[in-house]
Amino acid sequence: MNFRDSANKFFKVIFSNWLSGSGFIIIAIFSIIAILYELLGTRMVPYNPYEINLLNANLPPSSSHWFGTDELGRDIFSRVIAALPIDLGISLFIVIASSFIGLILGIVAGYFRGPIEEVIMRLTDLFLAFPPIIMSMAIAATLGPSLLNAAISVIFVWWPPYVRLVRGNTLQVASQDFITISRVLNTPFRKILFKGILPNIITPLLIYATMDVGTAMLTLSTLGFLGIGIPINTPELGLMSSILTTTFYTYPYEGLIPAAFIFLIVLGFSLTGEGLAELIDPNIRVHIISRKKRAEILQKSKPTTE
Amino acid sequence: MIGRKELILFILKRVIFSFFVIIGTIIIIFFISHVLSKNPAALWAGPKAKASTIAYVIKEYGLNKPLYIQLLNFFEGFFTGNFGIDPVTHQPIASEIFYYFPNTIELVLTALIFIIIIGIGLGYISAVHFNSKIDDLIRLLYTTAWATPTFLASILAVLIFTSYIPILPSGGMYSPGLTPPPRITGIFVLDAILTGNFADFIDGLDHLILPAMTLAFLNFGIVTRISRNGILSVKWMPYVKNARAKGVDEKKINRYHILRNGLIESNTVIAVMFGWLVTGTVVVEEIFSWPGIGKFAYSAITSDDYPALIYVVIIFTILVIIANLIADIMYAILDPRIRLGRGTR
Repeated sequence: MNFRDSANKFFKVIFSNWLSGSGFIIIAIFSIIAILYELLGTRMVPYNPYEINLLNANLPPSSSHWFGTDELGRDIFSRVIAALPIDLGISLFIVIASSFIGLILGIVAGYFRGPIEEVIMRLTDLFLAFPPIIMSMAIAATLGPSLLNAAISVIFVWWPPYVRLVRGNTLQVASQDFITISRVLNTPFRKILFKGILPNIITPLLIYATMDVGTAMLTLSTLGFLGIGIPINTPELGLMSSILTTTFYTYPYEGLIPAAFIFLIVLGFSLTGEGLAELIDPNIRVHIISRKKRAEILQKSKPTTE
Repeated sequence: MIGRKELILFILKRVIFSFFVIIGTIIIIFFISHVLSKNPAALWAGPKAKASTIAYVIKEYGLNKPLYIQLLNFFEGFFTGNFGIDPVTHQPIASEIFYYFPNTIELVLTALIFIIIIGIGLGYISAVHFNSKIDDLIRLLYTTAWATPTFLASILAVLIFTSYIPILPSGGMYSPGLTPPPRITGIFVLDAILTGNFADFIDGLDHLILPAMTLAFLNFGIVTRISRNGILSVKWMPYVKNARAKGVDEKKINRYHILRNGLIESNTVIAVMFGWLVTGTVVVEEIFSWPGIGKFAYSAITSDDYPALIYVVIIFTILVIIANLIADIMYAILDPRIRLGRGTR
């Protein structure tokens, strides 16, 4: 299958129901804006998102400042756009790092079994017991504020489910005949890994990871909102929303706009995940298809009245 | 049929395992708090501490001793319930935690009741109307709720119900002028009932409803989703068809064949959720100024009260482990197949 075919198939699956379809569109729009900002930098936005101008503080939304300005006179629209690559980027980084940890530990545990599996899985159980937000808060506070530290503090509690997922799928694949035969034939592990195991476990991992970007972003922005781990003055949506606690009755839009952006982006990811999860669940999938077909059949079998 | 003996053995195994998990997590937390930072004493004393304070902190918490002795001391302090003195409030940390803890439990249990009713109810409706407009609407609703940042929902709730439609108090656990009833359980609403103080009870409920509903709104999605998928996964099973073919009453099929089996997972997710909610209340408690353990944890971080934070994290972790243990045991009782499935281990 070449690239074009797989892309076609991907879009067909995504747009087969409106949940994942609309979610995908939301993600696509925000990602494109984020990438453009990364490429063009501050040229893309009307004002410098970092520039403080106390004379322009707390301006309401207008034609020159679309979303108004915050208490330090920074243009909120520019800051929101500048925050997109940071929020999306860190969330993506968290998920990718967790996927890597999950792939390595999960495959080792699921393929080699034995005492190493026992060690890895018990360690995973240990880390699974940590309460995510509190633990991230504590680690971020220990490491001190920086974007990398914020990411590390979330990754610390983020990877265990990935190990479980990968290990479960690896167990399933590794017990199949073609792997057993390859092992008997002394196929090098590298080959079994890349030709046998990885292609068969990557799809569920990718779907889980996609859904998870949104959740990671929620956790990250919560850290930002609480003002832990994220350096001050960084355009990060959670940190920008934290202004709500002070300007809540006076200038609610200053914090509500960034918060709404978080909501929209996370909604995009969770809608996509919600739609996709249904499509890969073998128990439910058959009934979606058969229902559609049944409707078609009913349509066709209706006697034409004309 | 699986014997009682096997079940007890299973529970015993899980309990012992959980105990080791608790020990393991405490060790990890110890290493984070004592080793991860380059200069733990400065962190423990706070950023603005003077050299004399840092020296005091080093002596007080034994930070200059070898690591294994520190670890042993840490364990000794933990298991004797001697968590040390909070450097900010000058109160014993243990008593602070046990003061704030019941308040969080009150909030979380109330939210959990809402979550069970809304979550399973909507999940059932959604599954019955599978692949229809109603189903789509419910799925959109819970995905939306799930995607809402906690702070946004909390602040909007306060804004709407205390400012635009002023029917509820904006925060706190009871009205400022009120003398709380004597502490029996530590849970305000319960204490008010136990002492027969009806006015206090209403006042407590009045303050409780908004944060609890907010917490429930943010978290019912996962229960709805699991209930919906659980019901769908048994809805088309051959045994259900068989029952229908036999002429079993549709109500009975729904109740005994579909719901009993379809909602097993919902039961366990609710137990897990309890642990999850308790640890996820930081933002809600902060915004509703609810004097719970989450708010305490947050103020510990912002006031650089590192020792208190460590113990809060440990208490939270133990709570999560216990919630998971209960979920495991419930699952084993409700679904004996899980105990028979030894092949996976």
